[in-house]
Amino acid sequence: MTEFAGLDWQDNGTATLSGALLTLKERLDALFAGWAAEWGATVCEFPPLIKAAHLDRLGFFQSFPHLASFAVTLEDDRENLASFAARNEGTGDGLRMTRTAPVTEVLTPAACYHVYPLVEGARLSAPAYYTTVSRCFRRENRYVPLQRQWCFTMREIVCLGTQDEVRAFVARQRARIDAWVQSAGLPVRWVSAIDPFFDPANNPRYLAEKLSPVKTELLFGGLAIGSCNFHRNFFGESYGILRDGEPACSGCVAFGLERWIHAVLTHFGEDPAGWPLSS
Amino acid sequence: MNEERRIKQALREWIAQANGRLAPDEIDDRTPLMDERIITSLQVTDLLFVLEDLRGALIDVEDLQAGAFRDIHTIYHTFFARADD
Repeated sequence: MTEFAGLDWQDNGTATLSGALLTLKERLDALFAGWAAEWGATVCEFPPLIKAAHLDRLGFFQSFPHLASFAVTLEDDRENLASFAARNEGTGDGLRMTRTAPVTEVLTPAACYHVYPLVEGARLSAPAYYTTVSRCFRRENRYVPLQRQWCFTMREIVCLGTQDEVRAFVARQRARIDAWVQSAGLPVRWVSAIDPFFDPANNPRYLAEKLSPVKTELLFGGLAIGSCNFHRNFFGESYGILRDGEPACSGCVAFGLERWIHAVLTHFGEDPAGWPLSS
Repeated sequence: MNEERRIKQALREWIAQANGRLAPDEIDDRTPLMDERIITSLQVTDLLFVLEDLRGALIDVEDLQAGAFRDIHTIYHTFFARADD
């Protein structure tokens, strides 16, 4: 699906949306944001960069180094900048790098990673809900328009609370999604899944997820367009977030907006009049 | 001590040591080990090695099914119990 009005695809794995496709994306996100509002979720707009130190705290670089995209700047001294400028006149895409500053920031790989540093050290007396829509970046070994992009848009709803509160949130939100897709007639199914670990044979977290599944993906065909994730108290412990004096549990429900667009186009066709949310 | 009690006690003691906060007698056969993060995801591989030592045989990771490490009861019956137990 590379030729469609309103989709301008770049071979670097990024897309520009306009017209009816952009309207569809906005309406889908409004639907998901509305679900978040039902939880009274705090709406956040996070920056597109996240500190490498936070991802390091989560073991991200051991688990998913293959996905990371880094924000790199040149070392800020005159000689270095002049050298870069001289070396890169007319070089096009193949930049000749000179000295770079230490890399301390990563382009956001998952929207909810920003939530936990935001509430670090919090003492929760009730479950807390957060929502955000973020541009996310995951370097992949191949890119497909709308389905697998370097830069894509993720809406997340996050719950922090006791284990029962988080499990109830995930269950109820999943039921909410089920009701909508059934009403809209979108053929999807839930399957247990494991995160795409680098070198899974040597990653204990892969084994842990295999033994105690924490992720359920919403599949359209073979494509995961969303997921429900139960983190137990991993983020609560990592960020000192307490709920009733114990490390808080957390869970999130995520939606990949471009993949939802793909699902709508594939199932309902290219005429916007036939799409759900068309009015 | 019969074999089942010996193995379960060995598991209880290892889990308590790995956890660092619980005593062995606070971990019963049905204590949810992973759901309540009695053992963390980073300790799962170490537990696998303990099971292999107790069994005297390797365990193929790809054969593992969800829930196999749920609690001591499940671990024993998955990896140690004979068909006629």
